[in-house]
Amino acid sequence: MLIADCGSTWTKILDTGSGSFEIIKTRDMVRRSDLHFDIATGHSARGRCASFRNELIALAEGALALVGEADFSVVDVGGRDVKFVRFGDRKVKKLDWNLSCGSSTGATIELLGNYYEVDFSALTASPEWINVTCGVFGMEKVLEQVSTGTPAQDSIAMFLHGMVRNVYDFTGRPETLYLSGGFCENRCFLKTFEGYCDIRPLGRAVPLEGLKAK
Amino acid sequence: MIPEGNGRIIGYYGYPRRSLLAAARRDFGANLPVVDLDIDHGAPDSGLLPQATCRIIANIMNNAVRLSGRLAVVVASVGEDKCDGGRNIAWLLKGMGFNVVESRFPSGENEDRPLVWSTCSGPLAGRIDRIMETVVDPPKRATLPRESPAGTAFPGELPVGASLPGESPAGAAFPGELPAGAAPRRCEPTHGFWGVPPNDFRILGLFPPATHIYGWTRCVEAGRPADMDLECFVDPGVPTVFFTQSFCAKQDLAHYLAEKHGGLEVDCHREINDSIMAKVEAFIKLS
Repeated sequence: MLIADCGSTWTKILDTGSGSFEIIKTRDMVRRSDLHFDIATGHSARGRCASFRNELIALAEGALALVGEADFSVVDVGGRDVKFVRFGDRKVKKLDWNLSCGSSTGATIELLGNYYEVDFSALTASPEWINVTCGVFGMEKVLEQVSTGTPAQDSIAMFLHGMVRNVYDFTGRPETLYLSGGFCENRCFLKTFEGYCDIRPLGRAVPLEGLKAK
Repeated sequence: MIPEGNGRIIGYYGYPRRSLLAAARRDFGANLPVVDLDIDHGAPDSGLLPQATCRIIANIMNNAVRLSGRLAVVVASVGEDKCDGGRNIAWLLKGMGFNVVESRFPSGENEDRPLVWSTCSGPLAGRIDRIMETVVDPPKRATLPRESPAGTAFPGELPVGASLPGESPAGAAFPGELPAGAAPRRCEPTHGFWGVPPNDFRILGLFPPATHIYGWTRCVEAGRPADMDLECFVDPGVPTVFFTQSFCAKQDLAHYLAEKHGGLEVDCHREINDSIMAKVEAFIKLS
């Protein structure tokens, strides 16, 4: 069975039979007319699967499959938006999905990183932050920082710090937070988050676990 | 709906005082259509307001500009029953030459109408439409209970299973509406919708039939458009979506109430998108 989490910028594909796991750019996925999934979730999945699952539900069920605790919070920081679920006694107590305001911050950091050729694995966490209301406003702040002499690396670390603050507030400032999505692989993001709470990366396949669990 | 042709129209927005709407009909023609300018009637963008403006306020301006000379008068809610945007638009329209009558709903004119459509079962969009129709054509008071039944949370709320008495001359609870025997009964809520009627009604199709209506829309049905206590009331334990248009001051209330009651805050600018639909869908399924 081929299952997929088709995000706005990255698509995660799992063949449950062979166990092969692949991450491709969504821009490449949409060009491949041969790709059709048995079950899929994500912004770009509609019309490309036999069965579509709601993204938040997939995240919730995936987190339950991966985390054994009774009470916990999980957040998925994606390219386009941020999704959050809080569990109490392994039942959903609160959920939210940050859309237009606060959106596209993940995709924006990728754009900025590519433009300024930033190596995120070597980027040092910044104690300073800029206000990242959304991707566009945040990018404007980075460009302003760079134009006034702040090195691009530092400006982007400040952008990441602004994102962390938003995610931390959005999730209700928990003591421990499980993280889903591509930022699990961003060392600077994780180091910055450690200044706020115990951040525990679950990787990029949490929604796929939710699809499997179903 | 806006009638075709060039005939004159009475426009209004918000929940004007009934006496002012009655005066507008008396002065400009009892048979003139009365049109709610809050609603998106398909008017083109006037370009007179910033893009980042509450869509309901933009609808008022767009509709007024499109209707222009057809508008005999605009009865404009500008008080606490509406918002600063309503007051500002009234000032702008007056400056543009429209005949504007300002309405500030006084608490002394609050009514205690029974909550029927807010608390019965049925498609949410249709029930909200019915409620908003009562701004212009309220049910006859003689057909409605005068006092709140004991044990109900707010004036006018009926006990579960209770229905309106069908005593109107036409045998209907609401003028031109249901026959006496078919008056809707109150149901236990499985979910809640809090807020104003959305610009894009597609979001309402996600809610199950036993969704109770809260917030300003409930205030309209009760005849108490500026009653903050009623506006901020929701039944404890009912999973509720707190909806506002983006760039609306009611977002502050929605945010606070969603946190307080473990509900879901949703705001939307212009049309609903797939993400908003998915967010609400997930909340309804998981709660």
